[in-house]
Amino acid sequence: MSTTFNHKEIFVVVPAFNEQTVIRDVVSEIVAIGYTVVVVDDGSKTSPAPYLKDLPCYFLQHEINLGQGAALQTGIEFAREHNARYIITFDGDGQHNANDIEKLLTPLQTNEADFTLGSRFLKGAAQNMTGARKQTLQIAKLINYIFTGMRLTDAYNGMRALNPKAAALVKISENGMAHATELLTFIKKNKLRFQEVPVNIRYTEYSKNKGLTVWNGFRIFFDILLNKIFG
Amino acid sequence: MSGIQLLLIGGVAAIFIYYIARFRNALADLIILGIFSAAAIFFIIYPDETTVIANKLGVQRGADLLFYICILFFIFIIVKLYARIRRLETKLTEIIRQRAKDEAKKTE
Repeated sequence: MSTTFNHKEIFVVVPAFNEQTVIRDVVSEIVAIGYTVVVVDDGSKTSPAPYLKDLPCYFLQHEINLGQGAALQTGIEFAREHNARYIITFDGDGQHNANDIEKLLTPLQTNEADFTLGSRFLKGAAQNMTGARKQTLQIAKLINYIFTGMRLTDAYNGMRALNPKAAALVKISENGMAHATELLTFIKKNKLRFQEVPVNIRYTEYSKNKGLTVWNGFRIFFDILLNKIFG
Repeated sequence: MSGIQLLLIGGVAAIFIYYIARFRNALADLIILGIFSAAAIFFIIYPDETTVIANKLGVQRGADLLFYICILFFIFIIVKLYARIRRLETKLTEIIRQRAKDEAKKTE
């Protein structure tokens, strides 16, 4: 299969919640490569729209804050309705590197996988990672394993890529952070082929403040548990 | 009749009247609520009767039996309310999502 593609058919969904200070840099970096960007503002206190001025992208806005999972689902549905070929999810806090998108796409283009997941642990250690963060990710990995039986090297990495088959099937109902585990359940249930791909994470002071805490880990656990009970 | 009995009977009657006046629900609801209210008033007037039932169920005091039933009842209510909140959340998400997609802007 050919690996040439039209960059415009690749939609990068960027969920954003109060990311005003970095959202412009994040979107500029992706747009510069030529991908189509869909920013989903999840009810930020101040709209990021003015910061996106002059940048060619789609801008969607939730009227109230629903959670990152809900923002991703909105972006994915929008991308599908606009004939996206491949859909990427990309955090809005500046911790991902747009150059890694191509690495995520390769297994989809060569038809080796339907779904690729970014992993910060596959190649070298992440920059500036604190001990507390490592612990949180260990808890998150354990939660994923308990609920999905899947052993992954990274648990809550926001960079993922979906081919049309996966995008058509995906339906995130966990509005909050628990969507990451829900996506794994979804991969398993639909017997999708998945691969982990090494991606770099930039731990800036900004993204460290926005990232997961141990408390989030426990909240995620209870969200998933309650979802299992109440459906 | 003691003061507390009057207070409790008044409370049960007020809830019953408020419910009928405010919600005017189906006849089935009215009958169930009527039976519960009547039972509540009966046990307020004859509290020793709860002990008779409690003893039959292996509980020593009627007050303890009531306490256990209350705990079960509140857990049931919490579960019901939680399920309802989740349903509402799902609907709200769908509405907000649809609006976001309909009003998407393309910046240049």
